[in-house]
Amino acid sequence: MSWLRRVTARFPTVVLARRNLSRASARTTLAVVAIVIGVVAIGTIGAGGEAFKQDQMEAYEGFGGTATVSPVYYQNDDGDIVGGISDKDVSRMRQVTSGATVHPVIQRWDTVVRTSSGETSPSAQVKGLAALGTFYEAQSGSIPDSWRQQVVVGSRFADNNDVETGDQLTVTINGSFERTFRVAAVLEPQGFADQLQADRSVFLPFDRLSQLEDSESEYGSVIVRVDPQTASIDEAAESLETEFNTRRRTIAVSEVQEQRERFGQTFEMINQFLIGVGSISLLVAAVTIANTMLMTAIEREREIGVMRAVGYPKRAVVSLLLAEATILGLVGAAIGVPLALGIGMGLNQFLVGDPLAFTAAGLRYVGLGALFGVLTSLFAGVYPAWKSANKRPVEALE
Amino acid sequence: MTWETSDSEGAKPTETARGDRPGDAAGGGDLILRGEDVTKEYQTGTQTVRALKGIDFGIAPSDFVAIVGPSGSGKSTLLNLLGLLDVPTDGAVSLRGQDVSTFSDADRTRKRKRAIGFVFQSFYLIPTLTALENVEMPRMLDKTPVKTRERAKTLLRRVGLGDRLDHYPDELSGGQKQRVAIARSLINDPALLLADEPTGNLDRDTGDEILALFDELRAEEDVAIVTVTHDAYVAEEADRVVNLVDGVIEDAGETAADGGHGA
Ligand SMILES: Nc1ncnc2c1ncn2[C@@H]1O[C@H](COP(=O)(O)OP(=O)(O)OP(=O)(O)O)[C@@H](O)[C@H]1O
Ligand SMILES: [Mg+2]
Repeated sequence: MSWLRRVTARFPTVVLARRNLSRASARTTLAVVAIVIGVVAIGTIGAGGEAFKQDQMEAYEGFGGTATVSPVYYQNDDGDIVGGISDKDVSRMRQVTSGATVHPVIQRWDTVVRTSSGETSPSAQVKGLAALGTFYEAQSGSIPDSWRQQVVVGSRFADNNDVETGDQLTVTINGSFERTFRVAAVLEPQGFADQLQADRSVFLPFDRLSQLEDSESEYGSVIVRVDPQTASIDEAAESLETEFNTRRRTIAVSEVQEQRERFGQTFEMINQFLIGVGSISLLVAAVTIANTMLMTAIEREREIGVMRAVGYPKRAVVSLLLAEATILGLVGAAIGVPLALGIGMGLNQFLVGDPLAFTAAGLRYVGLGALFGVLTSLFAGVYPAWKSANKRPVEALE
Repeated sequence: MTWETSDSEGAKPTETARGDRPGDAAGGGDLILRGEDVTKEYQTGTQTVRALKGIDFGIAPSDFVAIVGPSGSGKSTLLNLLGLLDVPTDGAVSLRGQDVSTFSDADRTRKRKRAIGFVFQSFYLIPTLTALENVEMPRMLDKTPVKTRERAKTLLRRVGLGDRLDHYPDELSGGQKQRVAIARSLINDPALLLADEPTGNLDRDTGDEILALFDELRAEEDVAIVTVTHDAYVAEEADRVVNLVDGVIEDAGETAADGGHGA
């Protein structure tokens, strides 16, 4: 007690401020709630958004030193739409990008996928890609190196259709080809930034698809990859451009690293916008605090008049009211930060599947929210404090 | 029209108190507060209200002056000027020879703290502070918490509230609150105590206790007391009664039978 008293006696302003706040507890609580909401909004949006971005960025991870090539279609002189990537094109790609591996991707749209329970999945994308295991990891089962009787499915497809490793899937293509496969693996979730939208895909053995009778030897896209240690994907991309796009643009080459950066930038903008929207709640909190402090100041006009009369300088009155406003902000931040972290953990679990998936940038937003919460309160207290300190004690006492 | 610090014969402690002040004698150099031709006007919109119309006053240590007069006659206005809470529109108020109008707001605040104690009609205690803390309040920002606490306890015992130190204002009776307010006004050892109807809310017995306390303070600490009052018995106790009517002093008398002028 005496120890506490000696400490608090050093900060009489804080003691007075705290007592005053406890006097109008309902109003104080509401003001704190306003700050809490602001801190939580900024912290949660910031941290959750950063975790989400981080998670999406991971989808690019298997694609280092990689470029995707997609066909450019155009209208010829007869008015027909022509274009596409054929086996011959793939061979040319292999030639001009010596040292790179070239993986054509087959995508069929005329397919029906049926689970063993007989349900069909219309949104499943049937694809073929050799060396699947070099791009993706399996969350269950394992991705076979060479395969004829099995399929590998994406996580979303598996979730939506209750499919697990070991289940049977029947795939019908173009009404003629029909075959039942065993699910060898379910892939890790990749997110929407994934090159091949693997989450929604059913990967058939590449050879099966390429050997289909009606196969027009046409590929939906081609993945070109170099070992970034020994070769440059820039060079490979340039060679492809020269080979295919000199006379007329027939392919589009896109380096995944660039896509990744673009995605990061876009997402950053969206996140900042959302945080901006969240900050509006702090603005509302500022209004609430200012209102609270004005009411306090008016209510205590006489009391403050007495303080001025007995020799408190204006400065002391200003500090007292600012201390009160700041305490509101500090308490709001103290409640808001754990709350933001808690909600952030929920969001992480929901978006990323790991409650502790906070990133440094995300935690920075939580800190920023807390800081803004305190500063907002302080600034909101300035006008009421100034107004109240500048009232002449006589006026205040009348 | 003037109210001078007449060398009142009647006032008991006055004589002894004056003796040990340097430069006493006639010149009034020992006056705590002096006013000359003090005028106060209030501007409300286009209208000018002359609340005080050129009055003179002087207050010496251990004086006890009662200000009486009808409502709106300028009593509170005068008290505010005496307390350096306001400055006159015309004329001069000087504190120990220094013209108050040359002080900045911060200066006046400092002088108030050092020299003047206030007792308000409605007490104006701070409800979140205990009796003891209320008494300490004027010195709370000083870095002498231990000394302040000792002094505050002494003062509360002195006003008979030694057993109510930790009570909050709403746990005290009107008379007890007023006594806390008086203790608070004394925490800085003021030379001048200004009271606006200190007994206005109290019954006669409690009022008498307050008056007894005033007497003690004057005798023991040389405190000069100026009080606005509507109560005849308070005016009767005073050395001098200042009868304000419409901003002018009607007549100044020694402890006079006309003390009941007010009301
Ligand atoms: N702030 C102000 N603005 C304008 N006029 C004022 C102000 N304060 C006082 N007055 C006027 O000055 C005159 C004197 O007022 P004052 O408060 O000194 O009266 P009083 O003698 O204390 O009255 P009461 O006994 O009712 O308290 C009144 O006419 C009042 O209307
Ligand atoms: Mg009055």
